[in-house]
Amino acid sequence: MAKFLEYIPGNSLLHRLNPSVKLVCAVLFAIACFVCSNLAFLLLMLALALALAIGCGFARETAGLCKAVFAFSLILAVVILLTTPYGAVLITLPWGYIGSGSLLAALTVIVRLMAAAIPLFLVFYATKMTDITNSAVKQLHVPYKYAFTFTSTVHFIPVFMNDMSVIMEAQTARGVEFDTSNIIKKIRLMVPLCVPLLVSSVRKTNSAAIAAEVRGFNLRTRESGYKDYPISSLDVAALIVCILILVAAIVIASIG
Amino acid sequence: MIQFNDFSFQYREGTEPVLYNVSLAIPDGTFVGITGAAGSGKSTLTYAINGIIPHCYPGDFYGEVSVEGLDTIETSLTVLSQLVGSVCQDIDSQMVSTVVEDEILYGLENFAVPREEIPARVDEALNAMGIADLRNRTIDSLSGGQKQKVALASVIAMRPRILVLDEPTAELDPASSVAVFELLSTYARQHGTTVIVVEQKIALLCDYADMLVIVDQGRIRFADSPDAVLAHSDELLALGVNCPRSTTLMNKLAMQGMYEGPAVRNVAQATKALAEVLA
Repeated sequence: MAKFLEYIPGNSLLHRLNPSVKLVCAVLFAIACFVCSNLAFLLLMLALALALAIGCGFARETAGLCKAVFAFSLILAVVILLTTPYGAVLITLPWGYIGSGSLLAALTVIVRLMAAAIPLFLVFYATKMTDITNSAVKQLHVPYKYAFTFTSTVHFIPVFMNDMSVIMEAQTARGVEFDTSNIIKKIRLMVPLCVPLLVSSVRKTNSAAIAAEVRGFNLRTRESGYKDYPISSLDVAALIVCILILVAAIVIASIG
Repeated sequence: MIQFNDFSFQYREGTEPVLYNVSLAIPDGTFVGITGAAGSGKSTLTYAINGIIPHCYPGDFYGEVSVEGLDTIETSLTVLSQLVGSVCQDIDSQMVSTVVEDEILYGLENFAVPREEIPARVDEALNAMGIADLRNRTIDSLSGGQKQKVALASVIAMRPRILVLDEPTAELDPASSVAVFELLSTYARQHGTTVIVVEQKIALLCDYADMLVIVDQGRIRFADSPDAVLAHSDELLALGVNCPRSTTLMNKLAMQGMYEGPAVRNVAQATKALAEVLA
């Protein structure tokens, strides 16, 4: 299994798409998820995203991602349940109630976040970072410095995650027990680890910046990129599908 | 030619200079090995060559450093980086791409190498480092030695006149270290490139370097051919530089008048010298 947000070589439909088109399509898909609050539509979007992930061979990575997004969205869902009294009363609370509408809203948030996140993450699994940078610079006219900064940030996420696990292993070897079920205790154990992680990340980021500069980072122009990223009929089709999805989302949202 | 004239440097956040009154001339095409105890100023010396000092790490810069006739203070890092190719100590941080081929393309694209020239340059760099088979591999799937070769290939693709490497074999096993030095030395000989390597493995340096520079507490103690430097094994030991045992043995015999030849660099040379002594 690949590390978080790390490119996985392959020849799937997603691998063959133009990097900029992939990025734009993923953004359109995410916007469609946020435009419409119809649960049936969102479930369909989630099914589409999952089908795409499985079809492109990213089932395991997507399962891991879904787990993480589900955990995050569950927190939001609980907040919504407790703070949005709406619909038929199901459970009465001292400050209000949990209604059928609250339940629906909480469920919508979970499905929406999962459906919106999957395509965005799939882009990184199916595209080399350099292709995302170069394509964004050449075709979307994003300034190179910003594109490079964005992809470098994503590139460093697995590096820092690896650093964190190394620091945790070192602490475990010294008798710290991280596998406790008490969340508060776990957080208290993790907080001191932020200092070595911060030091290591600052050092690594500085080294990376210097290494990029001594390899001519400041000379880069839009024209100097070697690879071309032609738009194929597959890209046009993908764009059309995503635009249609967005239009459908807007129509469903306006119908109510 | 790389020229240090009475060069001293103190980092902005430092309390005392890291290098004092360094004067050194490195002729073109020389393979230079820099060694010394940890914190002696070896890396700072290389930073002064590739322009990282003073352009990235500001501080008090005294004296003069020139690379190919260009003053490193007056010349921008961008210009210097076209002359000097650098491989940093932290290889993982240096990698900007996910795939080997893209990593090699990175510098070529930045320096706007003509499109038609790029494929040949990539092939040449991959072949020079013997990693043509790794072309489409992801960086993350490579071993430490392979990553080191990729980093070297990505720099030599830019055809710099000077190569600066900071502890390129720090994370490598002995066999991989020799392989990296062998490739580096072959490439430098073929292209007349000046190579400056910071390295703790003095035995390895002695086998490949034309000039050995010993740095101690910010001062250059020795800058000469490996034979001439190794003849001072006792002094080197006092400076925290461990000479090969074969060198120390033959130097001791020389002190007792039992051996009169040049300092030996390795066991093979010591065996030969001992055979002559015993004959």
